[in-house]
Amino acid sequence: MNGTAAPAGRARLDLLDPLEVSRLGGLEVVTEGVVEGFLTGLHRSPRRGFSVEFAEHRMYQPGDELRYVDWKILGRNDRLYVKQFEEETNLRAAVVCDASQSMGWSGAPGSRLTKLDYARRLIAALSLVLLRQRDATGLITFDDTVRSVTPPSARTGHWHQLLNVLASLEPGSGTAAEPALRRVVAALRRRGLVVFVSDLLLERELALKALRFLRHRGHHVLVLHIMDPAEATLSGPAEARFEDPESHAAVVLRPRDWASAYEATVEGVVSAWRLACRRNGIGYHRVFTDAPFGPVLRTALAVSRRG
Amino acid sequence: MILFLHPWLLAGLAAAGIPILLHLVARREPPTVVFPAVRYLVTTTQEHQRRLKLQHWLLLLVRTLFIAALVMAGAGPTMPLTGVPGHPPGALVVVLDNSPSSAVVSGGTPRLAQLRSAARAVLARSTPTDALWLITADGVPRRGDAATLGEALDSLRPAALRMDLGASLALAAQVLAPETRPPEIMLLSDLQASAAGEASITVPLVVARPAGDTPANVGIAGLSTGAQPWSTDGGRVVVTLAGDSGRAVPVTVRLGTRPGRQALASAGGGVTIPVPGAAPGWWIATAALDADELRLDDERSAWLRVAPVAAVVWSPSDRYLGAACEVLAANRRITRGTEVTAGALGTGASVVMPPADPAELGALNRALARRGVSWRYGALSMTATTTDSGSLAGRRTVRQRYVLESTGSGRTGVLATAGGSPWIVRSAGVVMLGSRLDPSWTELPLTADFVPFVDRLLNRVARGELAILDGVPGEPVALPDLATEVRLGDRSWSVEGGDLFRPTELGAHLLLAERDTIGALNVGVDPRESRLARLPDDRIRRLWRGARIVDLDKAGPAAFSSQAAADFRGPLLWTALVLGLIEVALASARRWRA
Repeated sequence: MNGTAAPAGRARLDLLDPLEVSRLGGLEVVTEGVVEGFLTGLHRSPRRGFSVEFAEHRMYQPGDELRYVDWKILGRNDRLYVKQFEEETNLRAAVVCDASQSMGWSGAPGSRLTKLDYARRLIAALSLVLLRQRDATGLITFDDTVRSVTPPSARTGHWHQLLNVLASLEPGSGTAAEPALRRVVAALRRRGLVVFVSDLLLERELALKALRFLRHRGHHVLVLHIMDPAEATLSGPAEARFEDPESHAAVVLRPRDWASAYEATVEGVVSAWRLACRRNGIGYHRVFTDAPFGPVLRTALAVSRRG
Repeated sequence: MILFLHPWLLAGLAAAGIPILLHLVARREPPTVVFPAVRYLVTTTQEHQRRLKLQHWLLLLVRTLFIAALVMAGAGPTMPLTGVPGHPPGALVVVLDNSPSSAVVSGGTPRLAQLRSAARAVLARSTPTDALWLITADGVPRRGDAATLGEALDSLRPAALRMDLGASLALAAQVLAPETRPPEIMLLSDLQASAAGEASITVPLVVARPAGDTPANVGIAGLSTGAQPWSTDGGRVVVTLAGDSGRAVPVTVRLGTRPGRQALASAGGGVTIPVPGAAPGWWIATAALDADELRLDDERSAWLRVAPVAAVVWSPSDRYLGAACEVLAANRRITRGTEVTAGALGTGASVVMPPADPAELGALNRALARRGVSWRYGALSMTATTTDSGSLAGRRTVRQRYVLESTGSGRTGVLATAGGSPWIVRSAGVVMLGSRLDPSWTELPLTADFVPFVDRLLNRVARGELAILDGVPGEPVALPDLATEVRLGDRSWSVEGGDLFRPTELGAHLLLAERDTIGALNVGVDPRESRLARLPDDRIRRLWRGARIVDLDKAGPAAFSSQAAADFRGPLLWTALVLGLIEVALASARRWRA
């Protein structure tokens, strides 16, 4: 986990191109930089939130929710202050990461992270944010079987343990999400947050069934659909044989003839996932591997707060 | 029938296979691309595969048809239109077959009348801007307007001349060659198979075919009266028949106005009919058949010469010649007299043998010269040789002979040769034999043909054999050397001896040398005209490539139709344009969707 010093404070790493960010140093350093940038953007103490235990006042900034404005101070001094509270630390979160063969693919090797590399950095950042909020965070990785289970913990040093698991993660073979999601039940005995990070190139009904089950158990569930931009559109030679690295199924076609139909199909799949998740109270967010980490973290954090 | 202006361009149709070829070539193994979202591709193709496949094949079809339409348009397909009113100025040759066979009566109407009616319908379609010709059996192209040619049609009768259809069409093409107006030939004929000749013509040709079946016909193909003159004892006439009918028909032969003699004969065969004796003189022998659909070939005439037998003087010392004369006299083939001298040079007609004593040869040659004979006896040849086969002496061995030498400007009058040299010659009423009629000189006296040989010498050769010639209208006949005139009834033609004479009319002609009748030319219908079997359509197309065949009653509407041909180039180019637009639309739709 050694790396060069992060340029924290000079640039918002959470808003930069993920590939550029990844080139700044090792996973640990870069992730810390991302999280620092992310938290700076929030203008919040990592130890303070909008919970029930009052901690202090601070000046109102655009974007703050009006319900936390201290109206009494406004009446007395004609100044806008918002109230800040001590964060709760009893949230338990589990991140389920897909490490199948398809996750190891990049549509532009060398100029774009693979889906797994992107997921690895995203999960590291997210777990750091959660741990800084004193939320117990665990990690489950899988391909066609469950490959590793790191139980949720808020202990000091737990993040490094997670980093070790993430760093050693390599693309596996097939994809079977259901067993991994079922393992979450054992990891999260109380209501908590489940973040499912995958390219969703799996059996949708089986995965949805498992996600519904988790939701039924009272967990907040967030699906982060990792997608390479090259998967959203179809391009290539005049005619090509497209082969699935996992199943080795192949299709021969002319990309030019099928591009528009393919894009419609992808949008259809995304819409179907979004609709199915919404119906079951599951958060869904499509994440392109060239998108900065910040907005994704913001989405995940919003879900964790609801929890 | 669709015709092409540039048929060689049709080879370009192979280019229509280019889109299919490209399609097949493009089906090579494509490169493999690793792509995790193949399941999305599978879903996509399942939903759109049928539409895209249909679109793909449609595009292929449109491209193929586009090229085919362009190539077809380039080849210039046309189809003749009939009955189209009006036409651009054109040049038309009407070939009307008025050969003897056109005299046949079919369905109660003479064939020539049907052909003439069709010709009038064709002329009625013409306009003053058209150039018109009429070619009939006489082979003379007549140019004129519709009215002039209509008058020519009115006066048209079945000709004696045979018409070779191939030659007539070639002549018509020659006539049209300098024309700048669109040319066309209209053939109006009974389409006799025996008249068909091949012709390579590039001018559009319409062949009008008579309706109905052709009647089976039998006609007289020949009338032979044999060697002449006949004796007053009579002779034999041989009649040969030609035609399509296999049935036997009665043939009647009569001499002058005498009662005829009949016998049965059928087409392809002949019959010999004896004719009783007649008084000396020229007689017309006529052979006739019962009337049938074609009357023109049912009768044929020939001149026949009847003369008394020769009055001969001979020497009993000539062992073999004398014996032969005795036999002939006993059989009344000759009589004793001074008309002909046998074996020596007499005052009248003579049959001269070389003398037994060579010392007398000089005196004989001098005597011959005094008579104006243009031949003389030369050296004696002891080399055995044979006569050249001929009707006079046949093929015989000659052991000794005097070489007969011509003293004139040529070798006229040679009647028989031996070893290629003259052996029997005739000049100034004298017949000279190169050998004595003795077995030591020639084997002839020992053969059975000796007496008939002597008969021929005395009765015909020595007295001047008559030239009895047979001919058909339009075909040249070589006239005898002495002929100065040919006469047919009141008509006569002045000729030069040895020339070729082309008779134009049917009938028995006399050949005259000044006032003397030296023979006859018997002209009858060409035997091929008696065979009326018609050309089948497929043979017409083989003989005259590109010919369009119509019924005779459709000849009028079919005239000038080559100029009223439907041209498909325009529609094909429009089709190609529409196909091109469809191709662009389909391809653009694909690109737009992509």
